[in-house]
Order: sequence, then C-alpha cells, then structure tokens
Amino acid sequence: MDSIDGTVQVRGLRKRFGSVTALDGLSFTVTPGQVTGFVGPNGAGKSTTMRIMLGLDSADAGEALIGGRAYHALRTPLHEVGAMLDASAVHPSRRGRDHLLWLAHSHRIPVRRVDEVLEQVGLASAGRRRAGGYSLGMRQRLGIASALLGDPPVLLFDEPVNGLDPEGIRWIRGFLRSLAREGRTVLVSSHLMSELEDSADHLVVVGRGRVIADTSVRELLATASGDRVSLRTDARTEAMTVLAAAGATVASTGRDTLTVSGPSAEKVVQLLSGAGVPFSEISAHRATLEEAYMELTGDVLEFAAAPVDEEDAR
Amino acid sequence: MSEALLTGAPRVTARGAGRMTGAVHAEWTKLRTLHSTWWLLLGIVLCTVGVGALTTGSLSAGDCLARRTCDEDTVKLSLTGVWVGQAAMAVFGVLAVTAEYGTGTMRVTLAAIPSRLRVLAAKAVVVAGLAAVVGAVSVLGSLYLGRVLVLDAGFTAEAGYPPIGLGDGATLRAVVGGVLYYVLVALLGVGLGAALRDTAGTLTGVFLLLYGFPLVAAMLSDPDWEKTAKRLSPTEAGLSVLATRNLEALPIGPWAGLGVAASWAVGVLVVGWAVLKGRDA
Repeated sequence: MDSIDGTVQVRGLRKRFGSVTALDGLSFTVTPGQVTGFVGPNGAGKSTTMRIMLGLDSADAGEALIGGRAYHALRTPLHEVGAMLDASAVHPSRRGRDHLLWLAHSHRIPVRRVDEVLEQVGLASAGRRRAGGYSLGMRQRLGIASALLGDPPVLLFDEPVNGLDPEGIRWIRGFLRSLAREGRTVLVSSHLMSELEDSADHLVVVGRGRVIADTSVRELLATASGDRVSLRTDARTEAMTVLAAAGATVASTGRDTLTVSGPSAEKVVQLLSGAGVPFSEISAHRATLEEAYMELTGDVLEFAAAPVDEEDAR
Repeated sequence: MSEALLTGAPRVTARGAGRMTGAVHAEWTKLRTLHSTWWLLLGIVLCTVGVGALTTGSLSAGDCLARRTCDEDTVKLSLTGVWVGQAAMAVFGVLAVTAEYGTGTMRVTLAAIPSRLRVLAAKAVVVAGLAAVVGAVSVLGSLYLGRVLVLDAGFTAEAGYPPIGLGDGATLRAVVGGVLYYVLVALLGVGLGAALRDTAGTLTGVFLLLYGFPLVAAMLSDPDWEKTAKRLSPTEAGLSVLATRNLEALPIGPWAGLGVAASWAVGVLVVGWAVLKGRDA
C-alpha cells in the first residue's frame, strides 16, 4: 500500500462571490481515524470549502491540501479522496450502476468493484434502474457508493443526512463511524448539529466564513452552560428564596414556573421538601450539542430570524 | 493507517497516456449509457438521408437534357440533407457538455479528472469519433440513394452525368469533406457548450452560428459584403466542400471552406477550454 497521508489541511482560505465574502480566512485540519463534523448555518461557507478542497472552485487566497498536496496534483484522485457534494448530481436517464461504471472507467477500476460498492450501500438490486426513479435516500446511497469506489483514505460528504428517513439516518451514522474506525479521514458537513450528535467525534464550527470553534464533541458539551432544572410551583416567591439562599440562580419564566441553574434536580427536590415549599412538577434539562452550538453561532447567523419571545415559542 | 484499509480496490497507477485513456473511456461510457445518444445519432442519419432523398427524388432532368444548358451538381444535391442533419449533430455535441452542467455531474467529472484540458479533450475525442462514424453512414447513405434517384430523374450518362461513384476525385472529396464537416459541427457544439454551459443558451448560439450567417449574408445588398459573409460563415464556407462542379461559382474553395469551418471549431474549443479552466465549476 502506498503511504497515503489522509490529513486534510485548510489554510487561510478566502473566497468572495461578488460583494459577498463566502470564506474569510478559514483554517482547520481534519485528521484520520475520526468523524469530523463540519457545522455551521446555511451560507456559512461549508460547501464552498468542500468545492475548493476538490479543486472545483478556486480560492482567492489560501489553500486546501490533501495529504500535503493540492487536489490538482493528485494523480489518481478517486483513490485518494472520495466525495459526495450533491446527491442529485446524477443524470436521471442513466442507470445507477452505469453512473458508477463511467467513474470506474476514468480510473481503470475493475467492474467488480462497482458491484461491490453497490452491495455495500444496499443498492445492489436497484443498480439497474434509472437514477431518475431513485428516492432521495437512494441517491444519497449512490453518491456514497461513488465516493467509496476508489477505496480512498479521505471521504468528504456534504449534507449526507439531508432528506433521509430515520432508517437512512441511522444507517449513515453507523456507516460514517465504521469508515472512521477503518482509519479513514471522514469530514461530514451539516447545518444541523443534532444530525451529528451521535456520529461526530470532532467538530469544526463555522459561521460567516470563519472558524468559530474547532473542538471535540466532549469539550464542546462541557463548556455549554445549558444544564438547568425547570420547576412548577404555586409558591413561587418562597421557592425562589429557598433556592437562592442555597446559591442557585433562579429565573422566573412564567406565572408558576421557575428555571433553576446550579444545583441538580435531586438537590432542588431536597431543598424544597426540607423547607416545606410545595411544587407540582420538576424536570432536569441537560445541555444538548444543539444548544451548545446555538450558543456559539447565535451572534453569527447569516440569515437570522427575528427573535421570538420565549413564552410565545412554547 | 491500517493495511486492511485499501484492499478493496486494486489500483492501477495510471500515468500520462493511461489517464487520458481512462478519461476517454469514461466519456464513452457516459454517452453510451444514455438512450438519448443513440436516438439522436439515428436522427442525424435519418435527417441527412431523408432530406437528401427528398431533394434528389423531386429532381427532373426535364428540359435540360443537353449538357451545356443545365449543369446540376448531382453529388451536392444528394448531400443536401447535411444542411438539416447538422442541426442534430450540433445538438449532439452541445448536449455532451451541457447535460453535465444541467444535471450537476460536471462536478463529479471534474473531481474524478481534475485536468480541465483532459476532460474537454476526452469529450472532443469521443464526440468526434461518434460524429465521424455517423457522418460516414449519413453521407454514404445519401450518396447511394442519390445515385439511384438522379438516374431516375434522367441525369444519365447520355445526358452528361456519369453515375455517382467514389472513383471520381471530386465526389470522394465531397464525401470525406462532408464527414469532416459533421465532425467539426459536433466539436463546435462541444466547445460552445463548455463556454456557455446552459443547454438552451448554447443551442441558440450554435443555431445562430450555423444558420444565422447565411441568413445575414442573403440580406446584404452589397455583393462584396455578401461574399465576405459567406466566406466567414462556418456553414456556407464549410459546405462548399460538398461541391463537385462549378467550383468557380463558390464563395471559397472546397478545402479552404472546410478550413474556415475547422477554424471556427478550434477557436470555439479554445474559448470553451479557457472558460472551463478559468471559471469555478
């Protein structure tokens, strides 16, 4: 085996489309052996970055390197980088298998490999049907099959979960993890953090063409300040007094509801019971990746909706 | 990285010429696996032969039995269908490129073959090859039908019209030139497709180029201007290669005319390559 280094480096990428700055000095590194989530709101520059990685778009400044080399310098790109940018990029009149066949021919990959990857993504029986009749999920699978064709150490997927049904989402999560376990570099973009919650190990969060966070999932969760307890009680004032005295931060979120940050739910129950304050409902709320992400990207949303009053939103 | 990782696909390290072969093979598979390719190519043959047969079939030597009074170019008449068939040939060349932009597969293609020059060259080779085969079938088919039909119409040896045959140098030139012209029209389509990317826009452009020039030329009142326009038109100049008689009446010589068409094809291909290389995919 050639010693192919699967590290992907992005250094100081800049790209403008007319007056819009798509990438504003983007830098990060994607390492082999783990799933790296590439997250950011729509318009953050994720797809542009991936197109530059594949040499499809040119950067105004900076570079994207695969194993230390620019994409154009790769002699057999399908054996080094597998990519799915757009699942619908298939000629609708061509059969799914034929789509893989021409790709295989470009690199003299044997035909049996085409059937192998079709089998691998669960499209073996649909391969001889025209791609125009495929469901979105089947197109995603075909796109993934085309990325796997050359058995590359680096895999780039742009929004692979978009539009999949729950079964498909579960399949793709397991699949991404298994590719990373094999030692490959796996970069997966998404505009929804929740889609990556169970599959990514590392996260590169972007907004407005810049890296906002480059961190492991565990670290990001740890920094999130979202742990809190919701409480419903008729004795609001008494409850607030008792909890505040115990060092908790208490906020009134409604006529008879409180949000408590600091102590655990058990501790809150203990404090209130001890003081004889009645309450009817209590629930613990753990910070999710999504919340941590919202905290990070809250002020850099490209197309943010007008803020909605929290009461109305519930 | 683990040893087991890359066992699935045996890799043939393609170099130089090998990579070009791969690119050509990929383009051939792309065209081959679309039904529309074969319908379009069949359409070219039927258009060319059909229109040619209509023209020669409606001929009548009638009152020009004496050789001096009537000097019909029966070979050129038999190949009239090229005027119509070239439209389908242009569509074939255009779609080979613009269908990739329309469906988004161009990005898949360029990710597999990062060299833009190689992609365009591979497309040109495959399109030109198919155009040559289909052009040969169309031209020879037209000529064969023409040979039968002009005899029926009275253009016999006695009337000063030897049977159409490839033994005649001028006829052979018309055949070879006609096939080459078809190849050039297809390449014009490929180049314009790479330059403009959009199917509707490219088709409009290529039709304006093929049919607009002769229309404009016909509207020019100044004979010098008219002649210049005809000399520059890819169609008028290019199809002068089909003539076997009255060469002095042509706006430009047969091979020189084909050279004009070739210049158009090459020029547009170069522009297409520059756009392909310079613009984001």
